[in-house]
Amino acid sequence: MAEYRTHMKIIGDILATTRDDLQDEDGATVTYLIRKANISHSRISRILKTLVSQGLLEQVDSQGSNKYKISQTGREFLQAYYKFTSFADNFGLSI
Amino acid sequence: MEFLLENILNLIGFLVGLGIGIMSLIGFRNTGSPTLFRLSIAFFSISIGFFVIWAGYMAEDFVIKSGSMERWVQTLGIAIQTVGYFFIAFSHSIKAFFPKSSYFRSVGILPFFLVSSVQLEHLFRSVSFILLAYGAIETMLSYLDNRNKGAISVSIGLALLALGEFLGWYSFVFPESILYTVSMVIKIGGLIALFIPVSKVPLTKIKFDEGLE
Repeated sequence: MAEYRTHMKIIGDILATTRDDLQDEDGATVTYLIRKANISHSRISRILKTLVSQGLLEQVDSQGSNKYKISQTGREFLQAYYKFTSFADNFGLSI
Repeated sequence: MEFLLENILNLIGFLVGLGIGIMSLIGFRNTGSPTLFRLSIAFFSISIGFFVIWAGYMAEDFVIKSGSMERWVQTLGIAIQTVGYFFIAFSHSIKAFFPKSSYFRSVGILPFFLVSSVQLEHLFRSVSFILLAYGAIETMLSYLDNRNKGAISVSIGLALLALGEFLGWYSFVFPESILYTVSMVIKIGGLIALFIPVSKVPLTKIKFDEGLE
């Protein structure tokens, strides 16, 4: 059975991809992120817009296409996300 | 002996609740997670509930000196703790806690106005027991899913609190027995078990980031 992912988990997956699993130094394309995060185009577009506006991701214009890189704030968020995921796990909960 | 245990229990409950509440709040401020928000409400309520009872005992012992604590203070403290236990259970997605019928919803609150504070205390203790038992079972089930050892400790902690709550409620039937003392010892054990895994979560380098709210 497929595992249910919370909104926060999807954000964590996107940020983790842009930090650890980049295609090249310019960042990751939307198509690449869709494949890695396994969500629809419309949903990831909304999430990416929010993450860029919150300063967690940086949008880079590379050869006519948008690419996304994790920012320093994004790295700190991801670090906090992992720590509090472990905290919530102790209560049998997902953040 | 009972007075000493009651004070230890309420002080530990206050500190454990406050500690976990603060951690949850830091987590919520850093991630914006609704789960951590619910956990912070839960544990701050539990902490305040224990504090109210502890303050009641202290006020009785050092200021009022009437020989027994006002019953309503104990009932109030237990009621606030019950709110906390509700939010722990709610975090585990209680879907059928409130009746769907609007009639039952409207009369559901009547007992709170019709019964005395002693009966209210029975009511809150029994609701707390159900919520804690639910939380313990759900946490144990999540352990079976992800094998996180911390979940066992939290599950045992919640189960011990539930057992303590049950024995505390049952001691009304046998007021002079050892049951109430045993219930307090069990609850202290439950609170310690609850805090053990949480104390191991490394929170260094975590900071508030106002921009993330």
